[in-house]
Amino acid sequence: MTRLVQRLGWPGTIALVVILLLVLVAVLAPWVAPYPQQGVGVPNVAAKLSSPSAQYWLGTDHLGRDMLSRIIYGTRISLTNGVLIVAFSLLIGLPVGLAAGYFGGWIDEALMRGTDVFLAFPALLLAVLMAAALGPGFLNSIIAVSVTWWPWYARLARSEVLVLRNQPYVEAARLAGVSHGRIIIRHILPATGRPLTVQAALDVGPALLTAAALSFLGLGVLPPTADWGQMVDAGRKFFPARWWYSATPGLTIFIVALAFSVLGDALRERKGGTARASA
Amino acid sequence: MELTRYILRRMVLSAFVVLGVTFLVFIVAQVVPSDPAALYAGPRPTAEQIEKARQELNLDAPLIQRFAGFAKAMGTGDFGVSYKSRRLIAEDLRAYLPATLELAVFSTGLALLIGIPLGVLAAARQGKWPDRLGSFGSIAAVAMPTFFLAMILQLVFAQWLGILPLSGRLSREISVTAPLSMMTGFNLIDALLAGRLDAFGDALKHLILPALTLASYPAGVAMRLTRSAMIEILERRHVTAARALGLSEPRILFGHALPNAMGPALTVIGLSFAYALTGAVLVEIIFAWPGLGRYVSEAILAKDFPVIAAVTMVVTICYVVMNLLIDIAQALVDPRVALS
Amino acid sequence: MNRRHFLQTAALAALASATSSRWNLAMAEGSGSIFTLAYPTSFPDLDPATSFSNDGAVLANVYEGLTRYIPATETAEAKIEPLLATSWDVSEDGKTWTFHLRDGVKFHDGSPLTSEAVKGSIERTKKIGGGAAFIWGSVTSIETPDPLTVVFALSDPQPIDLIASAGFAAWIYAPSSHDKDNAWFNGGNDAGTGPFHISRYEPGQRAVLDRAEDYWGKVPEGGFQTVSFEIIEDTTLAQNMIESGQADWTYSIPFENLEAMKANPDLRVVVNPSFETLFGLYNVKRAPLDKVKVRQALSLAFPYDDVISAGTMGLGTRAKGVVPAGIWGHDAEAPIPQTDLKAAAALLAEEGVEPGLELVMTYSTTQALSAVAGELWKANLETLGIKLTLQPMAWEAQWQLGKSNPEAAQDIFVMFWWPTFVTPYDYLVSLFHSEEKPNFNLGYYSNAEVDAKIDEAAKLSGTDRPRAEKLFIEAQRKVIEDAAAVFMVDRPNVHIIRSDIKGYDDNPAYGHVTFVNELSR
Repeated sequence: MTRLVQRLGWPGTIALVVILLLVLVAVLAPWVAPYPQQGVGVPNVAAKLSSPSAQYWLGTDHLGRDMLSRIIYGTRISLTNGVLIVAFSLLIGLPVGLAAGYFGGWIDEALMRGTDVFLAFPALLLAVLMAAALGPGFLNSIIAVSVTWWPWYARLARSEVLVLRNQPYVEAARLAGVSHGRIIIRHILPATGRPLTVQAALDVGPALLTAAALSFLGLGVLPPTADWGQMVDAGRKFFPARWWYSATPGLTIFIVALAFSVLGDALRERKGGTARASA
Repeated sequence: MELTRYILRRMVLSAFVVLGVTFLVFIVAQVVPSDPAALYAGPRPTAEQIEKARQELNLDAPLIQRFAGFAKAMGTGDFGVSYKSRRLIAEDLRAYLPATLELAVFSTGLALLIGIPLGVLAAARQGKWPDRLGSFGSIAAVAMPTFFLAMILQLVFAQWLGILPLSGRLSREISVTAPLSMMTGFNLIDALLAGRLDAFGDALKHLILPALTLASYPAGVAMRLTRSAMIEILERRHVTAARALGLSEPRILFGHALPNAMGPALTVIGLSFAYALTGAVLVEIIFAWPGLGRYVSEAILAKDFPVIAAVTMVVTICYVVMNLLIDIAQALVDPRVALS
Repeated sequence: MNRRHFLQTAALAALASATSSRWNLAMAEGSGSIFTLAYPTSFPDLDPATSFSNDGAVLANVYEGLTRYIPATETAEAKIEPLLATSWDVSEDGKTWTFHLRDGVKFHDGSPLTSEAVKGSIERTKKIGGGAAFIWGSVTSIETPDPLTVVFALSDPQPIDLIASAGFAAWIYAPSSHDKDNAWFNGGNDAGTGPFHISRYEPGQRAVLDRAEDYWGKVPEGGFQTVSFEIIEDTTLAQNMIESGQADWTYSIPFENLEAMKANPDLRVVVNPSFETLFGLYNVKRAPLDKVKVRQALSLAFPYDDVISAGTMGLGTRAKGVVPAGIWGHDAEAPIPQTDLKAAAALLAEEGVEPGLELVMTYSTTQALSAVAGELWKANLETLGIKLTLQPMAWEAQWQLGKSNPEAAQDIFVMFWWPTFVTPYDYLVSLFHSEEKPNFNLGYYSNAEVDAKIDEAAKLSGTDRPRAEKLFIEAQRKVIEDAAAVFMVDRPNVHIIRSDIKGYDDNPAYGHVTFVNELSR
């Protein structure tokens, strides 16, 4: 613990704890939510739009469902969203980046100019365009965001490979006649993997923020699944008179994204890098 | 010589990117699961009306032919008519694009105005509480969901304090009874050209909240970049020398160090401008800002494809051109960029 | 922009904003003669021939038709009022209609209203054939025996008096505009006879109307000089505008917020029945919904009362079939089902439907009420072992799916229907008459007996309305008996208006249209 605090500093440690708690809450949702049924989406019309009270700590929504339970269940969607977006993006970006960096030449040029096309789109606009084309839905919104996300990993992977490519042990393997595929998988991938994994883990925050923006626009999961962005949007009609409806999920998104940001900052150790833009 | 080659290369690549985007937009359009003819034919068309629309829109032509038509339309800037409203899209763009650009430029200015002084302050008080508060603020600004920040700003400044308007671009008093004649489309400039101080103030008031929403993220980035650039420079020799000569601290900061930290500012301008164009979709809806974001989000809901394509193209071109300009400017400021 | 320049601008702005607030105050005092409406949707088409959307709200203040429909109230029967026509009569066979025009009416361009103008307007509308032009489908020729008489000859009996009262495609416009194209009208030009003319149109933002000179009708004392239709998509903004007095009229405020608005002495919340029914069409071409009892079971499982209380805050009313209250042909005694989960379970067991049945319900993304109805229904069906998937879609996509192959389409198609002109025929023929290729009959229901009754009633609706009404009701009862659809709720029309406005009366035959001429402050 002390070593952790030493490495990350207090803010970073707190952020890490918040994130771990979040994962725990997501896994244990049926047990920690006060009203698991409502968390899943069963309406409770009699109590609609109640203000926060001992019974409903964070109030209820327009169908009388407990906000706290909805937010707890929303954790599952948001985290899966974030993780899957990053995973899908790695799945596309990593091979592209590896191939571009390793082979160089016209392959590099072709792949990277293709990547540029995707980067040239303002990210949210492309995501919205994709989501609109695919229609709303959990998987569709993830695909939509991943399409805008993968070029970053392609670039990152490529720049890592460029360094590794000329390392003596890679040269040696190549001279020994080891196949390209084998070199990439055995030597390059493990070495690029580590920095990329750290970056990817930190990107879960911005990724879920972008996904939240999509569902705020009505392009996310289907009702009645609980989703933070969608809840903020639904509650906006009742804002500010029934502030809890929008404010509690909004604040939750903020806290989670903040935790990822702070942790990222702590890991980068006060370097002046830029964090990923998101919505 | 290197520089010219660099600039030429960047320009060719930009053109290539625009072509790629055209292709991508067209592909996405083919995936859209809706019938453009039905949309074009109106809210409750009969089968004959839809058939007529299909012919008018030439929808039965082969894919290649349609792509050629599409690329030509995008290339010439004649975007055709909206399927939904049948209005000329180019005409709509003339009304909406300046509104979005005005917001983008203003929020970029605001981001620099907030971020750079705070970054200087943080660097000057490195490790002390203004620095820590500043770093936390800049992280928070990045983590804040745009749509949530917009709602909070509206609540505080428009509904509680009542000092700024909730939404729109101009007050009803001005837009209905004494409208500005549209010259540039930028309200601030049009108001000045017409010598209308009332309209200028009104337009400015309406700009503040949406611009602030869009400025929060780039301001955070500007602050961090300025801070780290400043710290690096403050440790350099000529600054140490200036200090030894007994120059006052503010003079050192603003006279010697800051001009050297202008590189990051360029980066921030590019970033902020891009962010404003992207965030427009969310922010313009919340603030009822009559710009491209609102225009395109309505079109997306209706699957009004020609509008979606036109806006995507225009925004992307703005984006690409902006990036090109920034890259060139950076290469001019620091020729090392061109060599790398 | 460099820093110094920026600071200068900011200083200038501070100065300017001080000036402007004084100016605003002065303006506010003198703004009594502007009526401002906050509309949640834009006005896509201002061409009187093709307009078929919310643009009707603007056009109804600029153009007039031959007649106007006044819905039934508790004390009075529905009637058709003279507007540009003062009287009309129909031949015995219902195929020849003669309208006598009002004398002394002028179009906004100064030209007089003549029978030629009426003929030209309807012919242009028919020729373009967009929007709701199909309402004139049965008109074979229009004669003009004298400048103030128009004679319609029809191919089959149709109620032209009703058709002429439509809120779409029935506008009469000046001859000088008959050769103009759609773009001319959408550039903000008009050619109507109405109390206002369009003076400015900023697409997506506002339409500003000013009073027309020489209007033939009565103008109340203190009537408005200017009307501003502001397009405000965001309901939070619309609510704020009406509360602060920046708008005088709005609608589509969430029902949940109405309590607070009712308590506000500055506002009047006007609740009326609308002519919009929310229903779900069952896909009768797909198992197990091809079985009547299964469909009945689903309708029995629908939470009618909960949808009214949660979805409309108790302001909506139980739908009694497809034709809503206020329209002739409405069936107040329709045998509609009540929520009864036990009975539903019994019916499902009878048909051998096993738990685990999955159904897909599609609805339009923008319809919040459909989402609420779906969520509540889903919860009820879950207790019966049926999984209902809610699929919100853009309307065009939802419709596209519905029109494709019925076997592969949705199980339940949820939508609103509103009448093009006030007749039960519009609802019944569009939604439940057999269609060779599905257009709006998206449950694919087909019943020869129902078809025959609808066709027969249509023929009689111009000449023998009581008999036609009886047939329409019989057709509806058959549809209910067959459970071709679940009739969820009749949506209330809720309009919010500043309480200092006098003379407001909502007419549901013209959805969300405000006739500003009748108002004053």
